[in-house]
Amino acid sequence: MSSLLLGMLLAGAMPSADTIVRRADKAVLGDSVTYRLRMSVVRPGRSDRVVEMDGWKKGDDLGLVRYTAPAKERNTAYLRSGDNTWLYLPAGEKVVRVGAKQNFGGGDFSNGDIFRLSLIKDYDPTLVGEETLDGIACFKLELKAKNRSVAYDRVAYWVRSDGTFYPLRADYYTLSGKKLKWLSVTKVAPLGGRERPTLLTMENALEVGARTLLEFLAIQDDARIDDRIFTPSALEKGE
Amino acid sequence: MNPLFAIALRNLLRAKRRNALAGGTMVLGSAALVLGSGLSDGIARQLTTNLVAVQTGHVQVVVRPADFQPQSSPFDAYGQHQLPEALALAKRIEAEGRGIGVLRAVPYLQVRGTVIAGNRSSLASIIGIDAAREVELLAAFAPVAGAFLPAGDELAVYIATPMARKLRLCVGDSVSFVIQTPQGAVNSLDAIVCGVFKKSAPWYDNTFYVPLTAAQRLLDWPGGATNVKVTLADGSRAGARRARQAIAHLVEAAAIVPPAKGTRVRVETFDEAGRFSFSIIQANEVALAILSTFLFLAAAVGIVNSMLMSVHERTREIGTLRALGMRRALVVRLFILEGVALGLVCAVLGVALGATGVLYYGARGIPMNTMTLAWMAGGDVLFPVLRPASALRAGVLIAALSTLAAIYPAFAASRLEPREALQHV
Repeated sequence: MSSLLLGMLLAGAMPSADTIVRRADKAVLGDSVTYRLRMSVVRPGRSDRVVEMDGWKKGDDLGLVRYTAPAKERNTAYLRSGDNTWLYLPAGEKVVRVGAKQNFGGGDFSNGDIFRLSLIKDYDPTLVGEETLDGIACFKLELKAKNRSVAYDRVAYWVRSDGTFYPLRADYYTLSGKKLKWLSVTKVAPLGGRERPTLLTMENALEVGARTLLEFLAIQDDARIDDRIFTPSALEKGE
Repeated sequence: MNPLFAIALRNLLRAKRRNALAGGTMVLGSAALVLGSGLSDGIARQLTTNLVAVQTGHVQVVVRPADFQPQSSPFDAYGQHQLPEALALAKRIEAEGRGIGVLRAVPYLQVRGTVIAGNRSSLASIIGIDAAREVELLAAFAPVAGAFLPAGDELAVYIATPMARKLRLCVGDSVSFVIQTPQGAVNSLDAIVCGVFKKSAPWYDNTFYVPLTAAQRLLDWPGGATNVKVTLADGSRAGARRARQAIAHLVEAAAIVPPAKGTRVRVETFDEAGRFSFSIIQANEVALAILSTFLFLAAAVGIVNSMLMSVHERTREIGTLRALGMRRALVVRLFILEGVALGLVCAVLGVALGATGVLYYGARGIPMNTMTLAWMAGGDVLFPVLRPASALRAGVLIAALSTLAAIYPAFAASRLEPREALQHV
């Protein structure tokens, strides 16, 4: 049990909503990491689409993923820098700007979901209480978008209350209040020297049976990453 | 009847086979011209009717970026930015524009998004309309199942047959729309299919009509729209241009300030707003003009050849007429009148043949079986149109061509010397 939670328990207080969300934001990936990822897009009646990719992340604003498999898609890459996202298609040797809310790789994650894992920047969290979800004790939070430029107007968020602050589930709602999709964060396993959730499953609430799985295969925390790789020109050069 | 013209007609009948062959070319040429004009006019009518009824009206008010350049896309007419107070503006144009022939002014809102039904999804062009006032739209997109958007039903959606097939939707089925608002948030709308309309131009295949208020909620634009389309009593291009000036003054007086930076309110006629459709119409007209030129050249060669043969065959006759005192000018007139007579007969027959074809296919329709043809024709079926002006133009052109083609042989005949002509064997 973390010293933070121990301290809080000793103090007889629950952690604040802000603290929970901040801790959960860093539960899967830290500030400067490289990783290897497998994405499986599941569509009913169709065979699964599986791609593997290498990723680099620095802070909340810089991110890059480059496909490594299958061979025909190798070197396809997404770059996030600040509020801008670019897609590099090696077949056309072209870098095109794409929207943060557009689907990432044809799956159920948006580009923003992939590259902006920090919720605390965009949402005002409120701690609703404690719940048991799938047999796991967790904090339930309501996240309200700080403004109308944020993709999801409301997020219902469950974070483990066992001191790990691993996110467990997030339900994303549209402006009209309809549930759009939900994220399950499961399969806690040692990766990159520490235990962490390694499987993220985004299910589409509107398209029956549609879901996308992101499985981390390798993670290296505190990696030294050169900022220069996070530029469109580097994307094109395949650096 | 002028005696010379009677002689000309009689002369034509003296060489029935040769004149029938030369005339046949002209008959077929003029029939092809009438048919071609019918196809071209049919395409123009389909594209214009759809454009006016669905997107622009005869004049539209829309917010454009200051540096707006049309992309020659069928969606150029749709505005991308919010036109605030659109309903009030439409009412003002309608109330104060009666004097300039405004029949209706209706706001609508267009937004792109995704439609989801079960485990199927597709890109969608979602259009919020004031259904009770969309008279022309209902005429263009008549229901083949269910009904047009019912008044007061906020959950209804009216869809096109291709999308109903693709998403396997029937009347009563539910769909969800997901869009990204201009501010950036994701929003959704649930709706129930109230009706399915017949397929029109291929670029309307993924169009979904919902009530204007539902679309405004979806886009988070209370009271906003992207376009106001104005229907005029005089729907001609000239009529639209005249009305545009007056409507522009009304819009200016309304002092609307679009919320998006670098944009301004514009008033556009349907041919300005729908350049894509008019570029297709123009391309068809150019193709028809090129085809006509070649047809006329072929027919002209046939006529000249036939008339020169006639001069050759009638050399002794011309010599006799000249020896009896017929002046050269009269010989020229005689041969030109033969050309005129041939042209008139062929024009009447050709126009009748072409018009019959246009009327036949105009009633049945010509299937446009490939995507390219459907894009060129503005629909899956093309209904040619017989315009009296087009038929008359074809007739006059063929008669004029025949007359002009007779000039050279006529002068060749007039230059014959009587003595030499009489010796001709």
